[in-house]
Amino acid sequence: MIITELLGARVFGPEFLGFVTDARFSLDTESVGLPARLYGFIVSPHARSSSLGFERSGVRSPWPIAALVRWRHRGSFLVKWAGIERIDVSRIQLRPGFGRGSPELP
Amino acid sequence: MTSDSYHQSPRWLDAHLHLLDRQVLDVHGVPIAVIDDLELSDIPAGREIPPDAPPPMITALPSGPTLATRIFGGRPPESRMLRTPWVAVREVGVVIKLSVGRDTRDLSWTERWVRDHVIGRIPGGRHTPKGEESDHDQSDDRGGGES
Repeated sequence: MIITELLGARVFGPEFLGFVTDARFSLDTESVGLPARLYGFIVSPHARSSSLGFERSGVRSPWPIAALVRWRHRGSFLVKWAGIERIDVSRIQLRPGFGRGSPELP
Repeated sequence: MTSDSYHQSPRWLDAHLHLLDRQVLDVHGVPIAVIDDLELSDIPAGREIPPDAPPPMITALPSGPTLATRIFGGRPPESRMLRTPWVAVREVGVVIKLSVGRDTRDLSWTERWVRDHVIGRIPGGRHTPKGEESDHDQSDDRGGGES
């Protein structure tokens, strides 16, 4: 499977929750080339587009763009891989009781 | 998500933010491609994922002719996408740096074919133009040993 099949997919829990706007991977160490594992998906309730890093990195300038992007992606959350029950074409179903994490990068 | 392990993990990569559309440089710093997609190891699509299923991993970075499909939709044929294995990635930053040379990748086969079969047959096409040697201080086989 390729990642562009998942980006923009509609995400459902008990009801429609939003769209996948990004996928987060974790590296075991600083060394790139080692396995990069899928940690989870960032889900935005209102937009399919990327948040360009504004939502997630604390960048606040230029403020009109930052404010617009944050508003479009208000309510975004991170769902871990363990919270995913099923992946279909353009649709992701989450497990009952899935956790909502902060989409901000550590 | 507020667990210590999350905040203490050394490195996180977001697909859009850190990888997609980044330029790929080979071991000599020569641009060879742009990342158009990420290939993941098997995801059990269309059926329930067991709670203890291991997370998918990035296996390759496909590149290909995606301009038309980005405008008009769809996807290029799989056969047109060329893959850079993830294990060849040395550094992820503003650009993606590889640990291998471009001639070891299939990504530049068209460029090599044109060089060998077209440019190389033009008189003077098998050596670096005089005065530009200093621009090519890295090893480059375009000269073909002739001058």
